[in-house]
Amino acid sequence: MTNVTKSAIGFLPRAGFQHLIELLAEDGRTVIGPTVADGAIVYGEIHHVADLPQGIGAEQAPGHYRLVHHADERFFAYAVGPTSWKRFVFPPTLALGESRRDDHGHVSFGPAPREIPRLAFLGVRACELAALGIEDRVFLGGPYTDEDYRARRANTLIVAVQCAEPAATCFCTSMGTGPGIRSGHDIALIELDEGFIVTAGTPAGSAIVTRLDLAEATAEQLTAGADQLAAARDRIGDPVVTAGLHDRLLAKLESPRWAQIAERCLACTNCTAACPTCFCTSVSQRSDLDGHTATTERRWDSCFTKGFAAVALGGNFRPRVQDRYRQWLTHKFATWIDQFGTSGCVGCGRCITWCPVGIDVREELNVIAPPPQVSAGPAEAAQPHAPRSSVFRVEGVRRETHDTVTLALSTPDGIDWSTARGEFVMVSLPAVGAVPISISRRLPRGLELTIRAVGPTTTVLTGLERGAEVGLSAPLGHGWPVAAAQEHDVVIVGGGMGLAPLRPIVDEILAARSRYGDVHIYYGARTPSDVLYTEELAAWAARDDLEVGVTVDRADATWLGRVGVVTHLFDRARWDGTKALAFVCGPERMIQATVNALAGRGLTPDRIFISMERHMECGVGLCGHCQVGPFFVCKDGPVFSLAQLGDVFGREGI
Amino acid sequence: MPETEGPAPRTEANAELVALLNATWFAADLPPQAQVRLASLARRYQASAGTTLLAEGQLANELGIVLSGRVSLRTLVPETGWITILTVEPGDVFGWSALVPPYRSTSTVVALQPVDVLALDGPGLRAALAADHDLAAALYPRVLQALARRLTATRLQMLDLFAR
Repeated sequence: MTNVTKSAIGFLPRAGFQHLIELLAEDGRTVIGPTVADGAIVYGEIHHVADLPQGIGAEQAPGHYRLVHHADERFFAYAVGPTSWKRFVFPPTLALGESRRDDHGHVSFGPAPREIPRLAFLGVRACELAALGIEDRVFLGGPYTDEDYRARRANTLIVAVQCAEPAATCFCTSMGTGPGIRSGHDIALIELDEGFIVTAGTPAGSAIVTRLDLAEATAEQLTAGADQLAAARDRIGDPVVTAGLHDRLLAKLESPRWAQIAERCLACTNCTAACPTCFCTSVSQRSDLDGHTATTERRWDSCFTKGFAAVALGGNFRPRVQDRYRQWLTHKFATWIDQFGTSGCVGCGRCITWCPVGIDVREELNVIAPPPQVSAGPAEAAQPHAPRSSVFRVEGVRRETHDTVTLALSTPDGIDWSTARGEFVMVSLPAVGAVPISISRRLPRGLELTIRAVGPTTTVLTGLERGAEVGLSAPLGHGWPVAAAQEHDVVIVGGGMGLAPLRPIVDEILAARSRYGDVHIYYGARTPSDVLYTEELAAWAARDDLEVGVTVDRADATWLGRVGVVTHLFDRARWDGTKALAFVCGPERMIQATVNALAGRGLTPDRIFISMERHMECGVGLCGHCQVGPFFVCKDGPVFSLAQLGDVFGREGI
Repeated sequence: MPETEGPAPRTEANAELVALLNATWFAADLPPQAQVRLASLARRYQASAGTTLLAEGQLANELGIVLSGRVSLRTLVPETGWITILTVEPGDVFGWSALVPPYRSTSTVVALQPVDVLALDGPGLRAALAADHDLAAALYPRVLQALARRLTATRLQMLDLFAR
């Protein structure tokens, strides 16, 4: 419970409630609260008590919602409806930035004009306070923070109302979030038939409360308030045993139930849209007609959409509905804890009510992971910093293959990029789009990117000429632990485009060759004409301190090099892998085969590092696309040790 | 051309062939009797780059072990031409069809570089394996290993992983 002194508890008669709304408005706030619209109680602007759902409640069940009329005159005698406060602090669509490209190819990137409204939330339930607390951890608690969210949150005053009418779909008790209000509010109300018990939770709340015409709350009123809370708690019961749920759920990734749920699940995304904590988004550019100006827009997305985990050229890591349902449920109830130190679920029941086929997460959790305590180590941190695009100039273009080029880019701001860690950058062109590209070489005043034309954006990028300008984010993600390989032998295995992110490793080793043991570089390409960096490969091969093997999957009769899979380059080699570190990049199936062959050479999982390919958009772990088990590939990877990934590596539909 | 012919090869020649066998992963560390037996069935030859060592569909009369150089396994695809499916590197074998009915080669084997080959007589090897179970027990796992490695590789190649 909040530490509010007894003297701060007062009683506001029902007739005085309009005064509270007016005080909030006088404080310069738009009041958002419950109102009836479209057959449901939703959150909208409140100007007058008449806007509130007086005497109206809602009957809820899996896939069922109906408004009902109560005999009393209460304003807040309902359980939460389809909307949540999420939309006011994390808008469904948000302009992130504006970019321009003029007739001379000069590009510029700027912030989108933004107005942060001053709001008061009226009628926030305990589960919803918990949801806002979870969103605070997601958006403000990690290494990257969402400044728009921070501003909206800071500009909002919260008037919470204790829940007295839980729905049949509620399970806040199980999730430990309600029904009693504990923290996160500026003002807390307990509604009784004749009025409200009022307490202030913060100085800002207190400033409002002290202006209300409050009577002293009587012992009877306080008892009535406590009794109705106890009754609400009893009605909800404890339908989900959360103790040990994290481990139980992750132990059931192969449960047959996932496929059974998928037979019912429509992948309609209602659950994620209604959920007060789901935060996945996608970013797109909306261009004006002449292609000179574009607005970068972020909109809510859902891990249930078919293309959510799709990567370039149609690869999709979660093609089946069962994969996507599993992703959602295991993230919400398990890997969320690994990532943010808290469950992602508050037990509000919205996903149950608003599921058109009535899938009940309480039931599914009990069936999949039948019934120990959720850990809650807070993930504190704060380097306020979101990636922004800097303008880079194309200094050189080298064609590698028919569809792949290497762009040498320089930064005009004089920053020394050669030491910038991070594995990839988001490359953006106004009115074209933004894509994640691995750094293929670090230069003193810039970098090289090797880009293959696989989609509309990369097609434009591969067509750029010297002098063109592009936007680059600061380097993102965790790269290869090359320094850890000093004094060790190094095995580098690349497949296809996977050689590009490995090239900086070779550069780094060659810059201090004597610090490393034997170095083996093995590369597999599709055909001889798809081999990247042919001249460099030849130069490396000519050195007597590197072993270089190149093979292709197929070739015509003119190719005199090796044909076969990349693992054949080293599975019969004579070197001893027990002292080596390996760095592997390529298509996931090729990585699997390579990892098996490396294990055969004596390399243990903690010495094998791989780069994972996933759908990356935001680059900072806040859009949800690239999740793999407990990791966001963009933020926690893309380079992982095999030991770190554990059994999520190579698993279908993760 | 065969360096040795007849049932009783010279001992010193045999010792040299055993040493060559021991330097290949295919025959290294086989029991000494098995290596001696294999050496008695072996001939060593060299071929220049571009030489066709075996043609697809032909009787495979020898199991070849590449000692040095590179050979390609090719197949002709009408309207496309010769496609190299695999290259065989030193230590590995070609012409395994000499052990499996109907003893006809499944690809055309062409030397990509000057090659040095140790060739085991097919009919002689089959007769030896049928008569000498110790030899069979030692050799067949190597043959299986070589073919299994090739099979798994072919599957990965078939996936055309680098196409996207």
